Amino acid sequence: MSASHSAEKVLSSSAKDSAASKKRSRNMANSRKAQRALALAGQYAGLIAFAIFTCFPFVWALAVGLSTDPSNTWLFPRSFWPTEPGLMWFERVFTEMPFLKYLKNSTVMSFWTIVSVVVISVLAAYPLARLKFPGRNLIFVAIIATLMLPSEVNIIPNFITLKHLGLLDSYWGAIIPNFAGAFGIFLMKQAFEQIPQDLIDAARVDGATELQILWRVMVPVSAPSIAALSIFTLVNAWNDYLWPSIVITTRDKLPLAVGVFNDLTGPFAVSTSLVMAAIVLTVLPVLIFFAFTQRYFISGLDGAVK
Amino acid sequence: MASVTLKNIKKNYTKDVTVIKGVDLDIQDGEFVVFVGPSGCGKSTMLRMIAGLEDITDGELFIGDTLANDVHASKRGIAMVFQSYALYPHMTVAQNMGFALKLAGTPKAEIDERVNKAADILQITHLLERKPKALSGGQRQRVAIGRAIVREPKVFLFDEPLSNLDASLRLNMRVELSKLHQDLKTTMIYVTHDQVEAMTLADRIVVFNAGVIQQVGTPLEMYENPSNLFVAGFLGSPKMNLLEAQLVGVEQGAAVMRLPKGITVRSAVDASRGKVGDKVTLGIRPEHIQLADPQDANAIPARVDLIEHLGDIVLAYIEIPGINEIICLKLPGHMTGLKYGDSVRIAFPEKNVLLFDAEGLAFKRSA
Ligand SMILES: Nc1ncnc2c1ncn2[C@@H]1O[C@H](COP(=O)(O)OP(=O)(O)O)[C@@H](O)[C@H]1O
Ligand SMILES: [Mg+2]
Repeated sequence: MSASHSAEKVLSSSAKDSAASKKRSRNMANSRKAQRALALAGQYAGLIAFAIFTCFPFVWALAVGLSTDPSNTWLFPRSFWPTEPGLMWFERVFTEMPFLKYLKNSTVMSFWTIVSVVVISVLAAYPLARLKFPGRNLIFVAIIATLMLPSEVNIIPNFITLKHLGLLDSYWGAIIPNFAGAFGIFLMKQAFEQIPQDLIDAARVDGATELQILWRVMVPVSAPSIAALSIFTLVNAWNDYLWPSIVITTRDKLPLAVGVFNDLTGPFAVSTSLVMAAIVLTVLPVLIFFAFTQRYFISGLDGAVK
Repeated sequence: MASVTLKNIKKNYTKDVTVIKGVDLDIQDGEFVVFVGPSGCGKSTMLRMIAGLEDITDGELFIGDTLANDVHASKRGIAMVFQSYALYPHMTVAQNMGFALKLAGTPKAEIDERVNKAADILQITHLLERKPKALSGGQRQRVAIGRAIVREPKVFLFDEPLSNLDASLRLNMRVELSKLHQDLKTTMIYVTHDQVEAMTLADRIVVFNAGVIQQVGTPLEMYENPSNLFVAGFLGSPKMNLLEAQLVGVEQGAAVMRLPKGITVRSAVDASRGKVGDKVTLGIRPEHIQLADPQDANAIPARVDLIEHLGDIVLAYIEIPGINEIICLKLPGHMTGLKYGDSVRIAFPEKNVLLFDAEGLAFKRSA
């Protein structure tokens, strides 16, 4: 009897407790909600500010290029809206300089740079990520250490090397020095290290050779990293100015970045509007490439394990 | 199809840590053998050595009559199903299953035929064009098994294939794996830490502990006559009750033990290699302990600590005054009258009491 009595007391007091704690948790939930909203607003404000910061040069160039009347070019913020819109400057880009020739040069050079960088990074990263051999870490550290060197250090040795190889004033001469990069090797090594061992073992049991494992399992599974590396490499190759301008002397072999700069700026420059139109046309292919690669950025490992 | 023979197999990952400490085992052609043991005892390592994914430090591995130590994984005629499934995420189910054949240069028509046949067996034909990420866990597991079947291997290796599935799915797949073995009649080596899977699937169980085989035998043999304390405690759920005791009498075909408080228990074992006064361990399975008549003077008095109703059976946890271990009884489901605090009397039938010496080795049953 007394036992059940005390049990009742315990029950009722615990019920009171739970009511109070419910109230408390409601208050807490409210303040937590407010906190979350605040944090979200902060995040968005930051992102929007960053978006404006990164977009404004492009928007400015586009607006100036589209203005047939260049009088407002230097008026802020009026210049961000085209004055008397028209495509006149864009048409003149094609008549004032061999734009299509430069575009073709840039495309060919970027294409081979991307292919070579991806192939070399994949081949270099695989042993660093997946095979055990003495000196592995030392080699990796040495590769990463090259990131510390300013790229100008390479100019003279590379120039002399290419001269001996007879590659001066050629496409290859302009791009070969960019083929092996620490960044690509690092990125692919990280990607390969994330692949579950079971997946590789499964391929091994299925009869794949090491190279087949690499190209038919590891590379497809690492598609997001390869897409990122491709875009990164494209932007670098497309915008590379200094090295091609040193190596290439024939005008017909120049890439866009060098061509636009040589033809449209300097003492004989026609107009800022023309440069802006040329810049917009130069950036466009990169944006298109990005739009096409974007779908590879989703995780390639979904569904592999568990 | 092939037999698998292990001769004094050893494995070191580093120089001074030996994970597998000399394993000898003959696996017959067509046999379903289950390696069971606690986590970390080296089961996966053993299986990966058979698969060719891990070097064998010492000893000889024969698959069929061929010494396979240095044969590449893909040339051993084995197929492996991994705990994590390890499906190729960028390929469809059909491509996953046909990958090995494609690598081997099999004509496309034959690949399709074999993939379809395996898909049919596993009832995954409707999934063939999907990617792994669009499958549930159970479906992924089927695909992983399908990928092994398609290769028509001589030996199947499974490494805890069901441990990522939920309980009901695990039961279904267990039944299907059994059926699969009956249909294919291929040698299968199956690793698990789950003794229920081991008991239900195996033709023969191999119990591992710390890189050493504890015992090999059929499930019932192992259940009835565990050769040592580890096996006795590992197989069976709930566990066998193990009680410290002292040997007080060695008779022809029987032993007499004394528990604390002067309780004596008899066991039908041949204890002639022991001597009076030895410390021993007495073992009895929960289903073998009997509830005795309250007036029975020979029965041991005890008190109920906890009752669990599982529907088909009742588990009673009881305490004998003076004995530290809680004893578990498995009773028929209709025994619902027992409750906490009840006094009961229990009896240990002589023929069901097992006895282990101070080293943990079992005394032979005399019957
Ligand atoms: N690649 C490895 N390197 C070093 N030690 C390992 C490696 N793989 C497993 N081990 C060790 O070997 C022991 C057995 O592992 P494992 O075979 O995976 O056990 P189980 O599958 O029975 O759980 C463990 O102690 C584990 O830590
Ligand atoms: Mg394991």
